[in-house]
Formats: sequence, structure tokens, C-alpha cells
Amino acid sequence: MSWLVNILDRLNKAKGQARQARVPFAVTFEGFQKILELNNEVLELMADMGDKMGGHFIFDRQYIISSAQTAKELVQQIIMEMNKIAPRKYLGLYESFQAIADQIDADLAGRLLIPQTPYVIPMAKVGSDALEAVGNKNARLAEVGRVLGVPTPPGFTVTTRAFGDFMEHAGLRRRLQPWLERWRSGEITSRQAAEALRPLVMEAELPPGLERDMRLAAQRLLGEAPGGVKTFAVRSSASGEDGDLSFAGQFRSLLGVEPDQLAEAYREVVASGYSARALEYSQRWNAAEDLTAMAVGCELMVDAQAAGVLYTLDPQHPEKDYMLISAGYGLGEPVVGGRTAADQYRVSRQPPHQVLGLDVVRKHQRLQAQPGGGIAVRPVEAALESAPALNTDQMARLAEMAHHIENYFKTPQDIEWALDGRGEFVILQVRPLNLKSQVTQLVCNIAEVLKERPVLFSGRGAVAQRGIGTGPVYLVERDEDLDEFPDGAILVTRFTSPRLGRVMGRAHGVITDVGTPTGHLATIAREFRVPTIVNTGVATHILRPGMEVTIDAEQNVVYEGTVKELCYFQFTEDMFEESQEFRQLRRVLRRIAPLNLVDPQDKDFTPRGCKTLHDITRFVHEKAVEEITNIDQHYHPGATAKNLKIDLPLGLTIIDIGGGLDAPEQARQVTVEQITSRPGRALLEGMAEPGLWSTQPMSVDLGSFMSSVTRTFANSLTSPREVGQNLAVVSREYLNLNLRLGYHFNIIDAYIADEISANYIYFRFLGGVTDLTRRTRRAKLLAEVLAHDDFRTEVRGDLVVGRIKKLPAEVMIEKMRLLGRLVSYSRQLDVKMQNDAQIDQYLDEFFKFNDGPELAVKS
Amino acid sequence: MSGEAKTQVLILDDEPIVCRRLQPNLEKSGYEVETFIRSDEALARVRQKHFDVVITDIKMEGLDGLGFLEQVKKISPGTEVIVITGFATMDTAKKSFQGGVFDFVAKPFSLSEIQGIVRKAEQKALQNS
Repeated sequence: MSWLVNILDRLNKAKGQARQARVPFAVTFEGFQKILELNNEVLELMADMGDKMGGHFIFDRQYIISSAQTAKELVQQIIMEMNKIAPRKYLGLYESFQAIADQIDADLAGRLLIPQTPYVIPMAKVGSDALEAVGNKNARLAEVGRVLGVPTPPGFTVTTRAFGDFMEHAGLRRRLQPWLERWRSGEITSRQAAEALRPLVMEAELPPGLERDMRLAAQRLLGEAPGGVKTFAVRSSASGEDGDLSFAGQFRSLLGVEPDQLAEAYREVVASGYSARALEYSQRWNAAEDLTAMAVGCELMVDAQAAGVLYTLDPQHPEKDYMLISAGYGLGEPVVGGRTAADQYRVSRQPPHQVLGLDVVRKHQRLQAQPGGGIAVRPVEAALESAPALNTDQMARLAEMAHHIENYFKTPQDIEWALDGRGEFVILQVRPLNLKSQVTQLVCNIAEVLKERPVLFSGRGAVAQRGIGTGPVYLVERDEDLDEFPDGAILVTRFTSPRLGRVMGRAHGVITDVGTPTGHLATIAREFRVPTIVNTGVATHILRPGMEVTIDAEQNVVYEGTVKELCYFQFTEDMFEESQEFRQLRRVLRRIAPLNLVDPQDKDFTPRGCKTLHDITRFVHEKAVEEITNIDQHYHPGATAKNLKIDLPLGLTIIDIGGGLDAPEQARQVTVEQITSRPGRALLEGMAEPGLWSTQPMSVDLGSFMSSVTRTFANSLTSPREVGQNLAVVSREYLNLNLRLGYHFNIIDAYIADEISANYIYFRFLGGVTDLTRRTRRAKLLAEVLAHDDFRTEVRGDLVVGRIKKLPAEVMIEKMRLLGRLVSYSRQLDVKMQNDAQIDQYLDEFFKFNDGPELAVKS
Repeated sequence: MSGEAKTQVLILDDEPIVCRRLQPNLEKSGYEVETFIRSDEALARVRQKHFDVVITDIKMEGLDGLGFLEQVKKISPGTEVIVITGFATMDTAKKSFQGGVFDFVAKPFSLSEIQGIVRKAEQKALQNS
């Protein structure tokens, strides 16, 4: 029916704008090929940018800028080509493109874009991409809760969007500006400025809905809270805070806030951004802007019996290798603020975190949250005054938690903690402890130290996640072994498997015999930032259970014993993931790479629904195929679309542009025998050979399914419904085939004539339903076959490209048959192949099919 | 290579991220590394101290990579210079060099790639001396 509608539509249009509507087929086809070419370029560029996120490459801002620029230009060209073949039909694409391009430009210029989130987000729902919405501090706290499972207080964030609207509503920003300018010019002191600014903030009206959203979020939390204290701690989480600058203690935190005072507390915290000391601090550090965006965290008060701060390394004596805990009774605020004497405990950095020393002071008072709201100072019972606030068992438990957190962030941490009424630790805040200069002195001779250390193996395999880890070897042979996995061990196993993800958060390193750095395991390793080396070939032979080793997934070396210096050395390096360049690339990629439009039947499959550049390319590709298959016979006599009658679930439409079919013009169907296109006939004969085409549906296991659901950076297709149209354009010498079989996306472009020099075949295969490891396996198999048959072959992740040219026609025709067989055979192979060893097995099977009788002749 | 005679490497790139990431990586392989983001400061240092290997970007404010290379070779002919450059300027860079440069590396580059090139440059520099 759509075919008919299309014709009617065109006839209608033809009345008014005949020129645009009549596009000669040659032009359509040329545009179509151009779109394919550009599409491939964009996908490759996206893959390349994605690669750079892994940490093995050094790139600079220029790379980000020029790659993003190129991506924009390519996509713009794609839209223009589409407009040539379907004039004025998808004008909405220009609009979507402009919106995305503007976002990319803003990202590149480093302009702060306040994301359009709700005013309030529950902490439990803060995801990895919420940094701009919730501020550094909240994002970090949510991250340790989400990724490491560390207990954090239930709470919610008032987002930067709420802040932005607060500033604009009732013209607050405009009213603050003159005072800030007078202060910057030196006309008034920071104290005078603060005195003028504070009442402006405190008296400003909140944007409509904000107060209600906060109240509802608070009620929901209180409904779920198990009892005890029913008030909130309200803290700042500005963008930039705890990032490049700590802003430690510059903004106000309010404790014991009752639910109906949250709005007032919110204003207080925002106003503290304009206090004299906050202004001076930002001036001293030349912070790029005055307060640009502040998110605010509202957390349920912890009924703390003890609380304080833990440094995972003592900044005064980093060489002594212990953690430093400061502790007092009750709420931690006096200890954190340094307003009271506190116990100090020194605990070993290494499990089981032995207590090395106690410095216990007399503690007369404790700060306590009052059940009805507010906080109060209470005397400490006489018997407890001189006792340590934590017992040794608690110290060790706290140290273990801190150890996990440091391992994750790969740099010493400054952690605020509390011990709640039930004796459980809760982490209140996490920030990097800056002691680069001190640590550097410890390790100035790192290369010398390393030379003396026994190397177990080096340069084997590939680094999947950078980093350094030490611990005892734990060998995983079967899945059940994972149940016993000890905290802080180095996981050693033969194959990579997504199932290892279960223990990833607790491992200090992963080393495998077999696997690829682009696999699913690598993705998980990156998520948990666990140093990982895959495909070493020797790990399970050399590494024995219980052996202490150090994995250096920076230089790809595994040492015997604990190389403490390496761990320190790591502290001196900037975390790549924390660098501005990394964050910028990640931000820009978010506008480019995720694929939201997967299903052509979906109501959002429209120009307006395109949220990323990838969406646009996906949309255009689908519509370009549609355009070319819905050829209007009235305007293009001779170029009619016919369906191929074949005994395979293929659904192929063929368009003949000259001598490719021997069938009546008005026929709607053709058979393989009626195909006179040399490359087309050979390919389809190969595909149709019996025994190759597996028609039984594959059961896709949960892991693969999940990966296909969650994968956003997919060059491929993710849902069976999105199988678009399969299309071949043929002439006597030419074939251009676009195939979606199951989940793959396959292009074959070939020209075969008697003149040898013009002959070529181009083969391109991409995508699949399963995780990248398995798709990479299939890519390997395809590449092996192509290379074996003299194709110049390239593999990048799950993309395989094969090229061959300038061979006599009969050889080229044989190659086309081979490709036909290969396409049929490899259908769903990625689901079938469970491990790398099976590649060879299936390869053998294929060659048996392929060479059949010939094999006997050869051997 | 004893602790006393480490190979001296200088890195010049106006994008601090390049220095920040390359320095620790090379130090761990046993090189002594100094980094600069301004070519005039790097040049002043070259006048004071001998470097075996220099890694420099091409496009910079003031004295650019080409000028810097020329100066380094004049002051210290035995120093081997590796040029790192964005892919857009790679061809122009190659063409404009008459010689004297040890190798070119296109940005972005992988850590193992630069390590390999530095190692070869080091060998050549040691022969020079």
C-alpha cells in the first residue's frame, strides 16, 4: 500500500512542483550510493571516537573538535543527498540536525548547558550521565552507591535545572549581576557584596512546582524510611565542586532540616554560593565563572553514634602506607569542620586492615539530630569519654569500604562517614585527596624499582582497562568458582565471559588467556575501572592460585609480589577519566553515537525523533532504501521493482537498471533463473545452496539479550522488527546489494565484465544481536574466510570489509558464489559461537561446505 | 642504562593533556622526562641541558614545531626529534621537512606506538653521542 500512497503523493506533488518530484532513477541511485558511502564513513568515525575512550590513545582537544566537525559535515551531506532523492520530503531533518549541531558546538565551546531534567531526581536514580544535572558531589556519591554497593543515605537531588530556573524566575540573575560586577571591579569588598546578595537570594520566589516537587520527594523518602530521625541534611553540589577545585567547606550544609523547611534550606545553600568566603575562594582560584550552576542534595539524616573522616593515605606521611581515620561521637560535622578534637586511628592500607595505632582523645560532647528537627549538643556518658569512638573491628570494616572506593577512583580519597544507630557504616561524601606533590617524591625512581622486580610475563595480550592492582591470584575455572571469589583478589581465567561481571566490583584485576579488548567483559571492566589484560595466552599456566601478583595494565606487565611503588605511582597520574578532554569527548559522543531510532515501525521514527547524529544516519538510510524500492513506473519506465521468488526467508526486492533481469516489464516477481546480472546471479546461487541456511531460530541467552538492549553505541541493529527492506540494484555487469539478515547489515557491491581491469567486489558486514565479543568472533570468522579466498580484508571490532579486484570474470563469479555461501552460513553465527575455540570449528565446517569435492582434490 | 645515565626526553605540546599523559608513561619506562607547553621555554631549556630525544607538536603559538626543530638541531645536532601532529597537518608536515626529523606520529596515537618510536630514537641518539 505504501507504494500506492507514494505514487499518489508524487502525482499530487507533481502538479505543483513537478521539477522536484521527478527524479530520474540514475540520480536516485547515485544519491543512494553516496548516502551509503557517507553512512559508512560516519559509522567508522564514531567507532574511532569510541575507541579513544578506552585510555590507550593520547588525544587532544583538537582531535575532539575536528572529529565532531567531520561527523557534523558528513551527516549534513547525508541529509543533502537525501533531499536530492526525495525532494522536500524530510525537511524536518535539517531542524533536528541543527539542534544536535548546536548542542555539539556548545559542548565544544565548553559552554555549560543545563540539562532539561526534572527539578528533583531521587539519588537512587542518578545515573552515570547525570553529572551536569546533579553536580560532582552528588554524582560521585550516587556512583559509589550504584557501582560499588556502598551504603549511602537515602535522598534526592535538586538539579541544576532547578537552579537555572530559580535564577531566571523573577529575574534573580539580573538582580545579582550589578553587585557581582561592582565587587569584581573592586568597588565594593566581598563582604559588602555578600551582604547585598544574600537577601536577594533569600527573598526570591522559587520557580513554580519546585517546592511541591521537593515536598513530594521528601514525603516519599520518609514513607520508605525505617524510622528514627525524620529530618534532612541539605548540602551543595555545585558543578566544578570537588572537580578541579574542591571548594571544600565553601558552601553551607544544613542539618536536621524538617521536611516543610526544605525550600528555605534550599535558598540558604544557594545563597551560600554568594557568601564572602565563597566569592573570595572562586576569585583566588580564578574559577572560570561565579557560581554557574548549583545542584543541592537533600539526604535523610543519619542517626549517627559516631562519625568522622577517613583519608586513605595520610597526606603528612604518605610513605608510611596507612589510612588515617578521624572519629568522634554523634554527627560528624564538628570533626569534619575541625572544630573539635577527635580520635585518630592509623589502619593498614592492605587487607585485613590491621590497626596500627590509636590516638584517643577525651570527647565530652556529641552533636545529635533531634527527632523533631534541628540538632543539639549532648554530653557524652562518662564511661565513654575516653574510649575510642570505634572498636577495632569497626575500624577494619570502614577501612575495607574505603579501600574499595580508592580502588575504584584510583587515587587516594577523602571520605566522610557515619556509623548509624544499627552499627552500619554509611558513606556521606567522597572526594579525591590531593597529595600529588608528596607522593611524587616517593616514586621518583620508579623505573629503577621496576627493574628489580620479577616479571612473570609482559607484553602478552591486550589491555582492556588501564590501571594497577595487587592481590592474590584466584583462578576461575567454572561458574561456581565465582561464589567463593575473595575481595581484592586478581581474577585469572581462561576465557572472558560476561558472567564474570558478578565479581568485577570486588576484583583488583582481571587476567585472561583468551579474549578481546572490545568484548563485553572489557565494557564491564571499564565500568568498574578494574585493571584488565585479556588474551595473554599464558595466564592460567603461569599464575597459581594464592600467588601474590601485581598487574600493571598500563605497561602490560604482570609482576610477582606486591609492587607498592606502582600503586603510588598511579596516584601521581591524573586519572584519564577525570580529565577535561575525556569528559568533553564523552559529552560530544553522547550527541553523536547513541542509537535511539531502531524500529522503523515506531511512531518516533521521524525526522523529529532523531536525537543524535547516529539517529539521523539510521533514519536516512531506511528512507533511502524505501525511496529506491518505491520507484514510480510512470517516471522511470524500465526500472521497476520486482520481488525475488526464492526458497529462503529473504524478502529481496530487485531493481534492474539495464540487462540485469530477463523478465517481462510488468512482472512483479522474478526467479533466480531470470537474473541475468552476472554478479547477482552468482551471489544468489551461492546463497541458495542447500544445507547452509540455518532456519531454526536461535535462543538468545539473557546476557546477549541484555547487551543488545542496553548497548547504545551500536553500529548495528537491535530489534528483529527493524529488519528493513533488502534491496538489490542490478545491471548485466553490476550488483549493489543491501541486506539485513536477522540483525546483520551487509553490503555487497560488485562489477564483473570481460574487461579484467574494471572488475571489483566490495563486501562489508556489520552488526548483530549479541554482545560485541561474540560479534567480534563472527567478524573473525568472516575475515578468515575472506582472507583465505584472497580478499584484501580489514576487521575493526565487528566490522569486516573485504575487497578484491582486477581478476578474470570467471574467478570473480566464483568469488561471488563464495560470498553467497558465506552470507547464508554466517547468519546468526554470533549467537551460536559461545567461545573463541569454536571459531575454528565453524571455519572448518564452512570450508567443508565450500570446498566440498575440491577439498579431496587438493589434499 | 644505569640510574645515573637515564635517557633525557623533552616533550613540547601546547595541549597540556598530551604532556600530562605521556610523561608518566615514559617515566615508567625509565626515561627522565621534562614537559613544556610553550616553545620559548622549551627552547631555553634545550640551551641549558642536553636531551637525547625531543617530542614536539607542530602547530603552536609563537615558534612552531618546524622552527623549534631547526633550533634544536642547531643547538644540539645529536638530539633526535619526533614530531607529533594532527592528521590534518600530517602531509604538509612531511612535505615541509627537508630532513633532520627522526619520525612523525599522527595524533591521536596509542601509547605503545609512541613508546616504540621513542625507543628507536633513543638508540639512534645513543649512537650519535
